[in-house]
Amino acid sequence: MTTMPGRRGFLPIRTNAFDRVFISVVLFVAVHLLWMRFLEPALPLWVATVLSVALGALIVRKG
Amino acid sequence: MMRSPTTGWLLLAPTIAVLVLTGVLPFLYVLVISFFDWNLFALNPEPRWTAANNFRRLVHDAEFLKSIWLTLLFTFWVVLSQIVLGFALARLMMRDFPFKKLFRAVHTLPLMIAPIAVGATWRLMTVPGLGPIPYYLKDWFGLDYRLSMFPDQAFASVVLMDIWHWTPFVTLTMLAGLSNLPQEPVEQARIDGAQEWQIFRDIILPFMKPVLLTTIFIRIMDALRVVDEVWMLTQGGPGAETRFIGLHIWKIVFPKTDYGYGSAMSLLTLYMTIVICWLLYAAMTARRGNAS
Repeated sequence: MTTMPGRRGFLPIRTNAFDRVFISVVLFVAVHLLWMRFLEPALPLWVATVLSVALGALIVRKG
Repeated sequence: MMRSPTTGWLLLAPTIAVLVLTGVLPFLYVLVISFFDWNLFALNPEPRWTAANNFRRLVHDAEFLKSIWLTLLFTFWVVLSQIVLGFALARLMMRDFPFKKLFRAVHTLPLMIAPIAVGATWRLMTVPGLGPIPYYLKDWFGLDYRLSMFPDQAFASVVLMDIWHWTPFVTLTMLAGLSNLPQEPVEQARIDGAQEWQIFRDIILPFMKPVLLTTIFIRIMDALRVVDEVWMLTQGGPGAETRFIGLHIWKIVFPKTDYGYGSAMSLLTLYMTIVICWLLYAAMTARRGNAS
């Protein structure tokens, strides 16, 4: 019997620590780019930074 | 006998050193430059820190966004066509037919030609008044074929050229995969009365998944960074209708010497390539992961 690497959190796929950091970085960049494109006139960019860092921490711990 | 980890690291060290020198350091350099405004021919040619301004400019740059869209369209059509054609040709080459060896050799020829020469060859074949393609299209179908005038024709020609150039690569990788398929499950399925399409769907495709995934990734990465062939055939024209990301970055970095902005574009292209490949990998392996 083989054991699957990684664990299952709230993300729909089984992940290891590297996967979760990778997903966090991908989302960090995507949130910033989309924020600059659509939301920056209304809300400053640091809000995106705070949100994506919080999201990244959540994914790394519970994802 | 177990060797010590130190021996393993010592053996890996030259490879890691080369990878760091040729991959990690240039990436870090481009990453740093992307946060600077650096244009050699500007009033102030020194690099100036601009934080995320290059990325801000990039997400509002209609020309760049259009080049991303064109590149994605190009990638979709060439990869899909090459995988379907390459797989079909590989299946064909698993059978015996007259002149099979000759066909295999001729079919593989485009793969050996440098992309710049492929572009030049197609350019010569498509120049109105000189090349055979416009002549015969006009003669047989009454079609006015001018790459410098009609965007759809230019785009289709670039897609066809890439399919012509890279399908042999897909055929060869698929052929390698098909040659190594275990024959027992196929024979058992035949004995049990399975139809050919059932064997293909339930046995051959699952066994070929790793080869398919690898080939698709290689082709996606190549298609997203295409430059030289397209440059030779259309120079990105007419207008900017075949100006894919690679050509756009080249235009910003070399003729305009806007290094900071060009670096930001390059990073976004790398990001896009990684995300597309990762999403595709996750989608194609999700069912297997969930089933386990």
